[in-house]
Amino acid sequence: MIVKDAVCPFCGCLCDDIEVEVEGNRVVAVANACELGTTKFMCEERLKGPILRDGDGWKEITYDEAIRYAADTLLSAERPLLYGWSGTHGEAQCVGVHMAELIRGVIDNTSSVCHGPSILAIQEVGHPGCTLGVVKNRADLVIYWGSNPIDAHPRHLSRYTRYADGFFLENAFRDRKVIVVDIRRTQTANIADEFVQIKPGGDYAVLSALRAIVQGKTETIPRTVAGVTREQLVRVANLCKGAKFGAVYFGVGLTMTRGKYKNIRNAIELVSELSRHTKFTISAMRGHYNVYGSNEVNTWMTGYPFGIDFSRGIAFYNPGETTAVDILARKECDAALIVGSDPAAHFPRRCLEHLADIPVIQIDPYPNATTAFCNVQIPVAVTGIDAVGTAYRMDGVPIRTRRVLSTDYPSDEEVLLRMYTLMQGAR
Amino acid sequence: MKVTLAMKPGPRSFIPIEAESIVPKNFLAGTDLAVWRGNRELRLDEVFSVSVEGDADRPEDVEVVLSGDDTFRLKRVGEYMDGGKITVLGDIGMHCGNFMSGGTIEIHGNADGWLGREMTGGTILCRGDVADYCASGYRGGRKGMKGGSVEVFGRAGDFLAESIAGGTVTVHGDAGDMAGAEMHGGTLIVHGDCRRPAANMKTGSCYVYGTAQGMLPTFAKNGTVQHEGRTLIHFTGDIANRGKGNLFVKGYKYLD
Ligand code: SF4
Repeated sequence: MIVKDAVCPFCGCLCDDIEVEVEGNRVVAVANACELGTTKFMCEERLKGPILRDGDGWKEITYDEAIRYAADTLLSAERPLLYGWSGTHGEAQCVGVHMAELIRGVIDNTSSVCHGPSILAIQEVGHPGCTLGVVKNRADLVIYWGSNPIDAHPRHLSRYTRYADGFFLENAFRDRKVIVVDIRRTQTANIADEFVQIKPGGDYAVLSALRAIVQGKTETIPRTVAGVTREQLVRVANLCKGAKFGAVYFGVGLTMTRGKYKNIRNAIELVSELSRHTKFTISAMRGHYNVYGSNEVNTWMTGYPFGIDFSRGIAFYNPGETTAVDILARKECDAALIVGSDPAAHFPRRCLEHLADIPVIQIDPYPNATTAFCNVQIPVAVTGIDAVGTAYRMDGVPIRTRRVLSTDYPSDEEVLLRMYTLMQGAR
Repeated sequence: MKVTLAMKPGPRSFIPIEAESIVPKNFLAGTDLAVWRGNRELRLDEVFSVSVEGDADRPEDVEVVLSGDDTFRLKRVGEYMDGGKITVLGDIGMHCGNFMSGGTIEIHGNADGWLGREMTGGTILCRGDVADYCASGYRGGRKGMKGGSVEVFGRAGDFLAESIAGGTVTVHGDAGDMAGAEMHGGTLIVHGDCRRPAANMKTGSCYVYGTAQGMLPTFAKNGTVQHEGRTLIHFTGDIANRGKGNLFVKGYKYLD
């Protein structure tokens, strides 16, 4: 059987044109997906059932036992942390927010370690963005800043920019210019028309210089800015001003380097400046397939996109204080629930030391680095493979994922709802 | 009236204690106050040994003295304070002096993030170091500190006085990255070095008596000025933001 128009649950491109060949309830071939997406569809290394840490080993337990353990542990905590959420569907994220409010915990998603700074900048100066389709059909200039789509979002280039046709472009490949800005020559830089190499930590200065040049204040700018010559900056500014429609896509190379949200604010303000001359937009290259959804769900339910502390019964938001890395590094939580992410693979050592000291429950289909830190792991169905649910593409477009396999695994939403029901009974 | 709050020793824990009730004027009505440890509400005397000497009719006559090894866990002490004095004999947690409009807070140790956030008046003295966002604004807010003064005798972290719109901040040691970012009023003085001062400033005055590292390329040089016995280089900017602020530095280094 071939399932058409399946949705790839890997990166923020959320490609919805995937063809999956299924034989005997196994995925045997995947068409249209990139290597990352194909690997996700084909992966079969799942946990068989819930496991409980037992001395140096593991003991198999039932879903009922695991869910009861999780509910009791989180209910008795003074400051439970509910983290992850970007690798699951919106319906499960909704239950997570209700749960955080009920048990008065802190709920945070992976954007606090990727594009959280982008959201902070947007809260300061707004977001002149657009959908991927608009860029595909209209943009004659695309800038990738601190992002390397060939490695991280492989089909972004072929579906929407460098190799895509555009309805309003006669010859998209020829007419569409691509500029790459990065601290090293990436693979994406090799296919760009212009590569701007910045010294590490110099993005903010380059963005400020470009804003000044676009305003015609070139004479104040020193001969080089963070390794970039004034001549190249003027050339880039002219390319931008001369474009009919420009689009900036930025990645964690800009959000997670020195200055963080101030880099993004500066980039947005450059786009605003350019919009006095032509049409320009800016968007984030979101990583997890539904990290955008976790920001959406959190925002519509609590008013805030991530890092929400319900300790006092009301939502309090302050990234740097109510975000997972900060809480763990400061040892400010006494239990953790991890859903749809793998903090042990990404977080600093200090955070992991605290994770090792507190009870941790993980809801995830696969054994991963966080498995080594948890007391209980509950395997679930994979959204987009054996569970359906809503996810948000990197440009904010909601897409319903499809089921390509049938298994007995419960979905994230089902497991969380059962936990939540037990908690409601206890409260 | 002198209120002494000595934190009771307990099992080692780092769960923060939110104590916005610790404001001088609240003690005019007694000590029946609550604080929050995580999601648990506790009576003041469950966390502190409380003693009161003398009495008072107005906040200006109340001094609160906080002591103990764990005062670094206390958040929001002195929030909305409008008079009187708070003395912290050790370190203090985040958001001390939030929205403060009057009175004095003196911290003998270090202060955690957001000290004096969005304050409009009064005085904060910190004898140790301050972490990030001292005298700054809130996320997405357009104005940080609007009035009063903050004096830090140690060093400051990043984003010192972010979005400052009034008042004076003085740091006797070095400051971190982005001191005075988005400044649009007030005065910031850093006696030591700092990185990328006054980024995107609109108006206001920023003085760096040491070296401005990673100096931004969008400040126009206007020669030198004499300031309190020092020769400083005067820049205006941030021109990227059409700013007309004043940045005075002893020395500067571009990231070229
Ligand atoms: S680009 Fe992203 S969403 Fe598209 S197939 Fe590859 S991993 Fe999946």
